[in-house]
Amino acid sequence: MSRELREAIPFVVPLVLFICLFILLPVVGTFWSSLWRDVSFITREFIGFENYLRLFKDLQFWRATFFTLLFPFVSVSLEMIFGIIIALVLNEQFRLRGIVRGIALLPWAIPSVIGARIWQLMYRYDYGLANYILKTIGIGPVNWLGSPISAFLSLVVADVWRTTPFVAIILLAGLQTVPEDLYKQARVDGTNALQRFFKITLPLIKPIVIVALLFRTIDAIRVFDLIYVITGGGPGGITTSLSLYGYKFFLLGDFGYGSSVSIILFLVAFLLAIGYVKIGRFREAPL
Amino acid sequence: MYKTILSIIIAAIVLSNCADKEPALTFAVGGAPNEVEYWEKLIEYFTDSTGIKVTLMRQPTDTDQRRQGLVIPLKARKNDPDVFLMDVIWVGQFASSDWLLPLDTYIEADVIDLHSFFSNIISQVDMYNGKLVALPVYNDCGLLYYRKDLLEKYRFPVPTTWYELRKTAVKIQNEERGAAPHIYGFVWQGAQYEGLICTFLEFVASNRGGITDATGNIIVHNRENIEALQFMKELIHRDAISPPNTFTEMKEEEVRLSFENGHALFERNWPYAWGLHKRDESPINDKVGVAILPRFSDGTHAATLGGWHIGISKYADTPDKAWQLVKFIVSYDIQKKLALDLGWNPGRSDLYNDAQIKKHMTHVTVLQKAFENSVARPNLPYYTQVSEVLQRYVNAALSGSITPAEALERAQKEIEEVAQTYHE
Repeated sequence: MSRELREAIPFVVPLVLFICLFILLPVVGTFWSSLWRDVSFITREFIGFENYLRLFKDLQFWRATFFTLLFPFVSVSLEMIFGIIIALVLNEQFRLRGIVRGIALLPWAIPSVIGARIWQLMYRYDYGLANYILKTIGIGPVNWLGSPISAFLSLVVADVWRTTPFVAIILLAGLQTVPEDLYKQARVDGTNALQRFFKITLPLIKPIVIVALLFRTIDAIRVFDLIYVITGGGPGGITTSLSLYGYKFFLLGDFGYGSSVSIILFLVAFLLAIGYVKIGRFREAPL
Repeated sequence: MYKTILSIIIAAIVLSNCADKEPALTFAVGGAPNEVEYWEKLIEYFTDSTGIKVTLMRQPTDTDQRRQGLVIPLKARKNDPDVFLMDVIWVGQFASSDWLLPLDTYIEADVIDLHSFFSNIISQVDMYNGKLVALPVYNDCGLLYYRKDLLEKYRFPVPTTWYELRKTAVKIQNEERGAAPHIYGFVWQGAQYEGLICTFLEFVASNRGGITDATGNIIVHNRENIEALQFMKELIHRDAISPPNTFTEMKEEEVRLSFENGHALFERNWPYAWGLHKRDESPINDKVGVAILPRFSDGTHAATLGGWHIGISKYADTPDKAWQLVKFIVSYDIQKKLALDLGWNPGRSDLYNDAQIKKHMTHVTVLQKAFENSVARPNLPYYTQVSEVLQRYVNAALSGSITPAEALERAQKEIEEVAQTYHE
C-alpha cells in the first residue's frame, strides 16, 4: 500500500462507515423486508420475490408509477424555466437586490408540509382563496381537487411555487461564475441578448443546471408531503405517488409489500441519478 | 462519587425488577387528555372498592397510534397490558390473531345478562367464532341532523326515506339560496378515507345491500349497492344538493362546521356533533334536531357502528383481576357515570331507559333507535386492506370518473385479490 493511500484511509473510513450505516443499511434492510410476507394480524413468512410479482400485476402500482414519472417531468420542467428567468433577473444590478433575493427564497424556507397546507386551504372549495378570486371576477367556483387534471395541476402549481426559488438560487450561483468579459466580447461581435443567453450563458452553466435538475428530479420523484396534505392521493386514487402508495401499505400493516414499493421507488430514483451524473460528466461545457 | 451513582442505579434496577415480579394489572387507555384523567379517577375508585391495584398505561390520542401501541406488546406476547379498549374494527383483527381471552366462562360464573347490551352489537362485534371476546364500553353510530327551523318554515316533516330527504332538500335549497347563497341540502362524509366506508355502508345497508353476505364473504357488486351508490353520486352531480367538494374535502369536521355555520339543511354525522351543535357559541344551537338516518323505500334504517370495546389479553398475567376490572367498567353504575360525565353513549342498552340519562341526554331515544338498527363493518383480519380498495373505488364513482356499476365491479375484483393475498 502506497503512503499516499495509507494516509488517505483515516479520512475516507468515517465517510464509508457513515454511508454504510445510514444509507446502505436502511436500503438493504428495506430490501430484506420486501422478501417477506409480513402482515399485521395475519402472518410473517419468507416468500422471496413474490411481492414483486404482485407489484407487476397491480394496476394501481402502475398508475402510481406513471404519476411518479409524470409529476416530476411537468413540475421540474416548469421549475427550470421559471428558475432560470428568476436567476437572470436576480443576477442583474438593481437597488435592493439583496432584499429581493431574500424574498424570492421565502417559499423554499417554509417547511414543505406547511406550504402544502397553505395551498390546500387556498384550493378549498367553499372558502379557499382561489375560488374567492374567481368569484370576484364573476366565474363560478371550481372544485380544484375534484377532477384528475385539475388536481394534478393544483399539485404542480404548489410544487413549482415552493421549489422554483431553490432552482433559482443554484442557477444564480452558476451565473455568477460566468466571466463578464465574454458578454463584452459578444456585444462587440454584434450579438443580441437571446443569442448571448443561448450561446454563452446556457452552455457555461450547464453543469449547474444538471445539478439543479438532479436535485429537483430526485426530490420530485419521492414527493409525499405535498400530495398527502393537498389531495391525499385523490380523487379516486389518481394522484397517488409511489411514496404515498408504499406508505399506505405500511399503514395497512402490510410491511413486506410496502417495502417492495419503496425498493422500486429507490431504484427509479437511483437510476435517474446515475443518468444525470453521466450526462453531467461527459459534456464538458463548450465555449 | 461515580460509585455511589452507579450503586444507586443498580439498586433502582434491582428494586424495579423485584416490583415487576408481582404480576400487576395493567390497563391501557388513550383518547383526549380529559378522558385519560377521568380514567385515573375511575381506577382509583375501583382500587378503593376492590383492593385491586391497577397500573394505567397511557396511550396517545391518535387512533392508529393507539392500535400500534397495543399490537406491539401483543405480538411479543407481553403480559402487559392486561386490559385495553379497542375500536370496533380492531376486535375482529385482534380476535383472529388469537389475542383476546374468551369471556364466556366469566359471564356465566358472574351471571351477567348479555341482554343488558344491544344484542345486534354483541353479535356483530363482540362474538368471534362463537365466543364472546369483548364487551361494548362506548357506542357510536351515524345520525341525521336537521335544521328544525327550515323544516318548519317550509312545512316538511323529518324525512324517513332518502327520496323524501332529497325532495325536501331540493325544494328548501332552491327557496333559501336567495337569502343564503352558500346553503346546500345535505352534507356528508365523502372524502377518500375510512369515514366514506361508514357513509357508504349506511346507504347500501338501507337499500337491502351491504358489504358482506350471510357467510361473511365480501360482496360489494350487486344491484342494491349500485343503486345506492348511484343515488349518492346524484346527490352531488345531478340534484346538486350536496356540495361538489363532498368527495374531495368532506370529513367529519368539515361536515360539522358547514352545518354549524348554517350552510346545510341536513347533515350526516356521529353523535359527538350533537354536543357541539348545542353549545352556546354554536349559531344553530336552538335550531338543530336529530333523527335516525333515512332508508330507501324497501330497505330498513341503518347506521354504521363505531365506538370502543373492552377486552382482556390472552397473555394477561392476572386474568381474574382483569375480569374484575372489565366487569366494573361495563357495570350499570360506571357506564352511567361515563355517560353523565364524559357524554359517552353507553355500551349497555338498559341505560337508555334510565330517567337521569334521559334527562341529561335529550337525544337518547334517537340514539337507542339508531343503535338497534346499527350495522358493523366486516369483522375481518384484513379489513383495513379491503377498506382501502373500497374507499378508492367509491370515491372514484362519487367523483364521476367511473360509473357506480363499474366502480363496484372493479372493487369486487380487487377485494377478491386482497382476500386471496391476505387470507391466512
